[in-house]
Amino acid sequence: MSQVDLAAELGVSRQTIIAIESGKYSPSLPLAFRIARFFDLPVEKLFDPDDEEIDV
Amino acid sequence: MNKRHPRFLAPFATLVAGTIVAGAVAIGHTWAGAIATEVVTVIESGIYYLVTGSDSDIGAIYRQRTDERQREVRLKAVKLAFTVMMISTFVIAVIMVALGDQYWQESVLWCAGGLTFLFGLARYGAHEPRDLGTGGIMGADRSWETPRDSETHVER
Repeated sequence: MSQVDLAAELGVSRQTIIAIESGKYSPSLPLAFRIARFFDLPVEKLFDPDDEEIDV
Repeated sequence: MNKRHPRFLAPFATLVAGTIVAGAVAIGHTWAGAIATEVVTVIESGIYYLVTGSDSDIGAIYRQRTDERQREVRLKAVKLAFTVMMISTFVIAVIMVALGDQYWQESVLWCAGGLTFLFGLARYGAHEPRDLGTGGIMGADRSWETPRDSETHVER
């Protein structure tokens, strides 16, 4: 799946997906839960405050 | 215009504002100055049109189609612009005072910016809900207690 597809699925921009992946932006709780629901993973599996990069 | 043609909003607003300024220049100054102002305005509108069409944060912000991160970017940019404007206004006011010139325009800008900032703090800041009592959330947590429960009993 491309960043464009994921962005369209989550209702955010491609730049935001890139920023989340590179750890430059921490998403809001609603968006974090949307991402977790999309990947069918618990949110704490995807986001760790100690990690710099997203775990996808 | 915003919903139907979001790409045209920023260029159109720039064109209208620039044309108003050009009109003011034509009335108060010279036609040559007005024409120069209008030419700069048209060029600026064209640049806005190109930027607004790009697949970037700036493009999304000018199209007013932003997600949560881009709204944060916009807020940070507005904060930076406000800070620079307030400092510039202060510096210009000091220079005007030193030159013995009028400085009421800068004072108006300074006061408007400062008072709007205070209004924003009051308007958008978090407030304690009034129905929770003086103890706020902690007070609300103990609201089930009767006054007698919370009294301190001293054994004699």
